[in-house]
Amino acid sequence: MEERPQHRLSRLPDNSALKQQELPAHRLYFTARRVLFVFFTTGIFCLCMGIILILSARSTQEIEINYTRICANCAKLRENASNFDKECTCSIPFYLSGKMMGNVYMYYKLYGFYQNLYRYVRSRSNRQLVGKDIKAVDDCAPFKMSDNKTPIVPCGAIANSMFNDTIILLHNINSSVQIKVPMLKSGLTWWTDKYVKFQNPSSKNLADEFRGTTKPPNWPKPIYDLEKKDPRNNGFLNDDFIVWMRAAAFPTFKKLYGRLNRTHHFIEGLPAGNYSFNITYNFPVTRFHGEKSVVLSTLTWCGGNSLFLGLAYTVTGAITWLASFAMMAIHIMLKNKKISVFHQ
Amino acid sequence: MAEALQWARYHWRRLIGGATRDDDSRPYNYSSLLGCGRKSSQTPKLAGRHRIVVPYLQPFKDEYEKFSGAYVNNRIRTTKYTLLNFVPRNLFEQFHRAANLYFLFLVVLNWVPLVEAFQKEITMLPLVVVLTVIAIKDGLEDYRKYKIDKQINNLITKVYSRKEKKYIDRCWKDVTVGDFIRLSCNEVIPADMVLLFSTDPDGICHIETSGLDGESNLKQRQVVRGYAEQDSEVDPEKFSTRIECENPNNDLSRFRGFLEHSNKERVGLSKENLLLRGCTIRNTEAVVGIVVYAGHETKAMLNNSGPRYKRSKLERRANTDVLWCVMLLVIMCLTGSVGHGIWLSRYEKMHFFNNPEPDRRIISPLLAGFYMFWTMIILLQVLIPISLYVSIEIVKLGQIYFIQSDVDFYNEKTDSTVQCRALNIAEDLGQIQYLFSDKTGTLTENKMVFRRCSVAGFDYCHEENAKRLESYQEAVSEDEDFTDTLSGSLSNMAKPRAPSCRIVHNGLLGNKPSNRLAGSSFTLGSREGASEVLHSRQAAFSSPIETDVVADTRLLDKFSQITPWLFMPLDETIQNPLLETLYIIDFFIALAICNTVVVSAPNQPRQKIRHPSLGGLPIKSLEEIKSLFQRLSVRRSSSPSLNSGKEPSSGVPNAFVSRLPLFSRMKPASPVEEEISQVCESPQCSSSSACCTETEKQHSDAGLLNGKAESLPGQPMACNLCYEAESPDEAALVYAARAYQCTLQSRTPEQVMVDFAALGPLTFQLLHILPFDSVRKRMSVVVRHPLSNQVVVYTKGADSVIMELLSVASPDGASPEKQQMIIREKTQKHLDDYAKQGLRTLCIAKKVMSDTEYAEWLRNHFLAETSIDNREELLLESAMRLENKLTLLGATGIEDRLQEGVPESIEALHKAGIKIWMLTGDKQETAVNIAYACKLLDPDDKLFILNTQTKDACGMLMSTILKELQKKTQALPEQVSLSVDLHQPPVPQDSGLRAGLIITGKTLEFALHESLQKQFLELTSWCQAVVCCRATPLQKSEVVKLVRSHLQVMTLAIGDGANDVSMIQVADIGIGVSGQEGMQAVMASDFAVSQFKHLSKLLLVHGHWCYTRLSNMILYFFYKNVAYVNLLFWYQFFCGFSGTSMTDYWVLIFFNLLFTSAPPVIYGVLEKDVSAETLMQLPELYKSGQKSEAYLPHTFWITLLDAFYQSLVCFFVPYFTYQGSDIDIFAFGNPLNTAALFIILLHLVIESKSLTWIHMLVITGSILSYFLFAIVFGAMCVTCNPPSNPYWIMQEHMLDPVFYLVCILTMCIALLPRFVYRVLQGSLFPSPILRAKHFDRLTPEERTEALKKWRGAGNMNQETSNYANQSAGKSGRRPMPGPSAVFAMKSATSCAIEQGNLSLCETALDHGYSETKAFEMAGRCKD
Repeated sequence: MEERPQHRLSRLPDNSALKQQELPAHRLYFTARRVLFVFFTTGIFCLCMGIILILSARSTQEIEINYTRICANCAKLRENASNFDKECTCSIPFYLSGKMMGNVYMYYKLYGFYQNLYRYVRSRSNRQLVGKDIKAVDDCAPFKMSDNKTPIVPCGAIANSMFNDTIILLHNINSSVQIKVPMLKSGLTWWTDKYVKFQNPSSKNLADEFRGTTKPPNWPKPIYDLEKKDPRNNGFLNDDFIVWMRAAAFPTFKKLYGRLNRTHHFIEGLPAGNYSFNITYNFPVTRFHGEKSVVLSTLTWCGGNSLFLGLAYTVTGAITWLASFAMMAIHIMLKNKKISVFHQ
Repeated sequence: MAEALQWARYHWRRLIGGATRDDDSRPYNYSSLLGCGRKSSQTPKLAGRHRIVVPYLQPFKDEYEKFSGAYVNNRIRTTKYTLLNFVPRNLFEQFHRAANLYFLFLVVLNWVPLVEAFQKEITMLPLVVVLTVIAIKDGLEDYRKYKIDKQINNLITKVYSRKEKKYIDRCWKDVTVGDFIRLSCNEVIPADMVLLFSTDPDGICHIETSGLDGESNLKQRQVVRGYAEQDSEVDPEKFSTRIECENPNNDLSRFRGFLEHSNKERVGLSKENLLLRGCTIRNTEAVVGIVVYAGHETKAMLNNSGPRYKRSKLERRANTDVLWCVMLLVIMCLTGSVGHGIWLSRYEKMHFFNNPEPDRRIISPLLAGFYMFWTMIILLQVLIPISLYVSIEIVKLGQIYFIQSDVDFYNEKTDSTVQCRALNIAEDLGQIQYLFSDKTGTLTENKMVFRRCSVAGFDYCHEENAKRLESYQEAVSEDEDFTDTLSGSLSNMAKPRAPSCRIVHNGLLGNKPSNRLAGSSFTLGSREGASEVLHSRQAAFSSPIETDVVADTRLLDKFSQITPWLFMPLDETIQNPLLETLYIIDFFIALAICNTVVVSAPNQPRQKIRHPSLGGLPIKSLEEIKSLFQRLSVRRSSSPSLNSGKEPSSGVPNAFVSRLPLFSRMKPASPVEEEISQVCESPQCSSSSACCTETEKQHSDAGLLNGKAESLPGQPMACNLCYEAESPDEAALVYAARAYQCTLQSRTPEQVMVDFAALGPLTFQLLHILPFDSVRKRMSVVVRHPLSNQVVVYTKGADSVIMELLSVASPDGASPEKQQMIIREKTQKHLDDYAKQGLRTLCIAKKVMSDTEYAEWLRNHFLAETSIDNREELLLESAMRLENKLTLLGATGIEDRLQEGVPESIEALHKAGIKIWMLTGDKQETAVNIAYACKLLDPDDKLFILNTQTKDACGMLMSTILKELQKKTQALPEQVSLSVDLHQPPVPQDSGLRAGLIITGKTLEFALHESLQKQFLELTSWCQAVVCCRATPLQKSEVVKLVRSHLQVMTLAIGDGANDVSMIQVADIGIGVSGQEGMQAVMASDFAVSQFKHLSKLLLVHGHWCYTRLSNMILYFFYKNVAYVNLLFWYQFFCGFSGTSMTDYWVLIFFNLLFTSAPPVIYGVLEKDVSAETLMQLPELYKSGQKSEAYLPHTFWITLLDAFYQSLVCFFVPYFTYQGSDIDIFAFGNPLNTAALFIILLHLVIESKSLTWIHMLVITGSILSYFLFAIVFGAMCVTCNPPSNPYWIMQEHMLDPVFYLVCILTMCIALLPRFVYRVLQGSLFPSPILRAKHFDRLTPEERTEALKKWRGAGNMNQETSNYANQSAGKSGRRPMPGPSAVFAMKSATSCAIEQGNLSLCETALDHGYSETKAFEMAGRCKD
């Protein structure tokens, strides 16, 4: 038996609002009349938003050219892995009916490439990519070490499967004159990726730093040879590499390949006319039943030319308005019948 | 360290004890230590069943080692853990829970590389958090216990030390069995010990047991016979006695054993000799005892079972739904694994996605699918709401906290409030369908008020007294206008068929309005009442309503005839009137002394008043008395039988007396008193002046009689005496006797002092007390009458029992015998009358014995007392030998007043759709009357009485009644349909026919028989109220069990006494009323209240709240988990079912653990759908809980559907928005998470009915913590946590308008359906709860108006049903006898229930009632 504690003078509980559960409370009671306002405002907001989004999405332009089949011979060549050193190029002409104003972005788009597989996503080494310890390959299974036990740089399945087609956009001013459209290979990544997450080992000579490592099996050249001309775009800092390393959320995705350098002829964007893509076909897609295409697009504040958001907003707004009219009808009906809410 | 070692040793012993328990059939395991292991060979056989205690002293060292060495010492440990074993033991206990095992399984699963889905460490996080939280909670609780234990263990007491030959201070924990302990007044007893010495000359010791059972009255304990007579203290050095007693057990009311002296002489021990641990010594200077049970073996510790754990209905329901969630999880995982297999087989030759194992081995799609199943389980684990259990526990704690801090449950008089002893069934309070209530002490106050008595066949109805009670009540409650006028009008119609005095009664007080007219009496009454209330605070022992009894004038008149001459041996000639006077005298003496009341004075609380003449007299052992008796009985043959209370032939008793100084202490030793009594014999000693002269006399007594002249400064006036009785009706009788100047002055084990007005102070030598027990239903005292010098037995008990024990007079006997017959008949009539008024009846009888008879009896009784094994049976037999051939003196009627607010509460609970059964041990008439008074039965109710002698008859009767009931409902189909109400679905019992069922104990036994159970239940389902009278405690629990198991309903049992304990334990919820009858019921209960009326708020308000809150919270939890986890599931369709999560794992884990955990808890604790006020005003709202409306099976599925819908929206809106774009995995997950958080929180806002600032705080806190975490984590984590890398994503998104647009759109679409549904529900088809909720918004005036309208709708239905009822009555077998049949009911206060005809539907089968003999229980025995 526990001995009793000192007898208190009174066991009278505290008479405070909290303890007596008498706190001032906002009582929510949803009836047609009360929520009408909420419905109307939501409806208006959604409709407006929807219209704005649709308008802005329509103001963008986009051209997508699927070159899986157009370059069928290359595709066939690439299906056999032993032909990896054979070069295959393919030219795809197209006509731009209207000019693309403003910033034009060039993407490559892959279909059916699952960059979001669990093991695939995990197969990378952030510590290596940040340049601190290039031999840190623990997380990179199954592409950690080459057969002769040297660490792979960059290791992992993501890096190994990097997209390696080269796409060059040519502007055919007339049948004989072709101008290479200037594309910038900078500013394709998030700032933080380029300046925080991906860093080369601090040395002038990248090749020295990466000595004792080996290139990923699928790569034709080592990481330090990606862009020999521009040291700020070489090694781990290569924009294409960084872009690729940001694993896409869905099996169908596009990735930024370049942006238009608005100089000279292209100062206002891409003028209408004949163009062609010159593609060095390296990346095999038919093996995984995939496709690839190249995309030219302009952007607005709300992203690309996807109409979905605008349409969804419009539909939601419309439904909300309908609902609010129904509410009003119910309210009027109830009022006319003089049935108050609490007396049946 | 040493302490720890001791713990270990003790614990080891306990373990051994526990281990051997199984193969040991002995009931008490601790002592099995003795019989096990190495000791067994040395221990005598007897020691297996009995405990032998030898003093812990030098001469007995060997013996001590042999017997008592192994007994547990007095150290107690109530903690579960020690520092060393805390971690392993706590973990062990926690892994007994299935939920934690599930977690553990997931953790282990994640360590298998093939199926790994998360990082290994992360999966452990929830488990670690849950385990830590619970471990901390357990640890803190245990630490608190440890501190208390330590405090108790280190209390100091005086223990005899061998070395120093004196009592020295020692800690409680060092006390061992066999130690001698000396305690002073007001000290707490450290261990169970046998009392060997008391400074009290009578060898008694008073203890207060409030620490044990809450009873505050003093109890007497007695020094073991043979030691009481010793002048000096027991010398432990010379103590050579061995004590043998039963093994430790938890029966507080039993202790059996004997003391064996070195000369093999045995002295019996009983509970009277045992001082229990935890009690306090009062009124006694010092006591010495020897410890027999210590530490955990003391009765107090064995009785101390911790809080109880029950599983509530809601939780059971939730558990099945958790199983459904498991099903769902399995289905989802199967989908995942099959999907993965199929997906993989598409790429069979393409080893690009088919990421090989580290060893470059490729696994087949089939195997990969199998592995994926387990991966999915890890990934989707949150679907099983494990945190639900933790949250439920927290919510329940919060709910209990709020229940306990409700001011309305506070009772000023007792300074107590509601006590929640079971922590986890508060929500069951909201679902009660059947209520089983005890009557005495639960519905009634258990404050016994003397109302009437019948002496020698004359009824004295004490009108003045009744009037006083009436006025008292008026002052207390004045707001019962409605019921008063109703009962007033009804009583006008009542047929005045009662005896004459009752008509007077009726005229005076039966009619409250008329009383009101007499304004003066009313105001006077109220003033009186107020002053009485004031007084009651000071007195603190009993309220004035119990103590003040106004004497009946007619009876007082008869007192004037009393003179001491009546006892002169010459008065053979005096005839009937004087015989009656003798009866009166005996009657009141019996009232005053036939009890176990302790006398004390209020101004000196706990100070016993000791009559000076008793001081210092040597006390003989019973053995001496016995031997004397034996010698006497040899010489004397027999004495004539005496039944009229006359003086026996003189001479022999005188000789006897002179030989026995013990018995004749008074007469020969105090000549002065003789003088005084002679003075008193003179005629001027009239009854009117008795009171004052009496006290003076006493003072002179004190001075004259006792040479030592023990000064008594605090000698109180006779009127200031306070009586502390074991049961309140005992006290009521003593107070009644005092009103007639027959005052109990003092009581010691040897003597009782009574001041009798006309006869002066009388000192009765108390020869024996046969205490009350529920089997005999009576108690007796054996005294030597000071005037007649005879041995007289006064017996008091239940009328049924006493009537059977009366001496059977032959019809041609002498006139006193004939008269006795007449008295018997008349008294029986009065008794029936009292019972009909709802009074508790007791019969008083006496018997005169010759000395030889007594000696003979005593010898046998002594044998019975000293036996250990079947002492109960022997004692019962012995009592039977004494209590026979009694002479009936009269009967008393004691009123047990209804508690305040009981009728209102019962009415409210009835309206709430709760069926109320009253289970009582009282007589049928009393029970029925109380049932009417507390509105359990309505005057319009059709009443069926089941009272049969055989099982077959019972079955037949039940089927007849059933047929009749069915006929009635079939005959009235229109009415039935009419009475269908919106909030009263057409259940058969609601179809307009109101019926009540009365069943008696014996018939109940038949009805509970298996073959009739079904029929009985069917019958009771037709009845609003069922009253079981004369039910034994066992029957009570059987009834509850039957209803609970067969009807599958939620039951609640409420009671206050030990006899309700079994019922309380059987019911789903047991409620104890902490009242007058100790704490046993409270100890066994789940909730303890101080008054019955609190039950209505407890059920209607807190029950409703707890139920709706918890069920809503549980549903919300399911919703939340399913909605969130499904996001992950939908993503699997886009990642080849590979188990990728688009959210960082930390966010994923914290989402449940942190961001969304607090709001549902707050919702579960603070949600208030309807205000307390409205809930009390509209008890009908309770029905929603009974039907489990808040949480029906389909509610769960609807919730899940909604969760599925919301998760679909939440996934696919962002999906379509970002489809085909360059978004990466975690950047896609971020808007999903954010939108999900807002949806889940806003969903809560839509679902909750009231929002306070706490809600707002918690919800904003949750949102802020989410963003804070996302931003901080996104900024800090560059390389940490390799696979997931949410670096800078939130920051990036917060600058992106699309992110906001997506979130807003998702929220709108996801919440729109539920919101619209709620709105439509609110305006088109509001549930009663919703409509009631609307009341809370109204102004007070509007509110009353609305309430009136609501009630109007209800009354309409009521009327319809009444109409149906009346028509039903007409078609009944026996039409109701018109207006005269109306049972006039008084307000509960005056309880002047007037009896016309009961609207009974008696059948031919039940007229055997009056002959029913079984299961009659004494008035004292509480139902």
